[in-house]
Amino acid sequence: MTLRFGPVSFAIVFCCVYALAFFTNLPLFLYYPLHGDFTWGPQLLKGAGPGMAWYGLMADAGIAALVLAFIVPDRLLDRIFRNYFWLFPCGAMLVCVYMLRQFLLQG
Amino acid sequence: MITALLILHALVGVSLLGAITHQLVSMYRRRAVRSGSFIDRYTGVNPQVFVVAVVSLYVAQVLLGAVIYPAYRLNVRIPFEEMFLFREIGMFEMKEHFAGIGMGLLPLYFWLWRPQLAESHRRDRLVITSILAFIVWWGFLIGHILNNIRGLG
Repeated sequence: MTLRFGPVSFAIVFCCVYALAFFTNLPLFLYYPLHGDFTWGPQLLKGAGPGMAWYGLMADAGIAALVLAFIVPDRLLDRIFRNYFWLFPCGAMLVCVYMLRQFLLQG
Repeated sequence: MITALLILHALVGVSLLGAITHQLVSMYRRRAVRSGSFIDRYTGVNPQVFVVAVVSLYVAQVLLGAVIYPAYRLNVRIPFEEMFLFREIGMFEMKEHFAGIGMGLLPLYFWLWRPQLAESHRRDRLVITSILAFIVWWGFLIGHILNNIRGLG
């Protein structure tokens, strides 16, 4: 059995996991740029300055997508979602806008 | 150093913007008969040739953004919060999240531009390329606006 990378699976899983991790506030880690510290998960480290979740969200989505891109057959997803791949990035982007609404409404 | 990286980030952004816009416009405006005008020449290119450039520039752009992002978080976002510029912060956060989602789309984008999928995945190719172009334009404009409000220098 040979492993084949599935770009369709990768994109779909990446979008879904990214949106889900952002929605549930579950980055793999937080980065604190003030002193260059890292912590696992979403727990804030006191006295370390502002934490950044984006790298952790990218890691969540990237790892999950990479693993599932070799497991979930592309043919299956292609057959189901052909012509509708755009739903996944659009959905993920809408989730991001929803999650950031407090910034947009305060301005 | 951060200023140099920010300028490089802007230059790569301009290149990416040019490549994906050229590809998108030529993809939407397919004409059999061409007059030789600037518009026809601009849109008369083979959009296939931009794929590798777009993927390479996009990856380079996101990596550069990831390197300078901590400087933004400390030197730009905190003063923005003190100035109550929350809408601008939100716009920038959207740019970062959209750029991340765009990274996840790159393998699909590359795959969709294989010549053998031209007919079977025509709509997906069109829409995924449009979404990537939207992300690039959004990132460029918001980055530009925020840099005008407060650059990293």
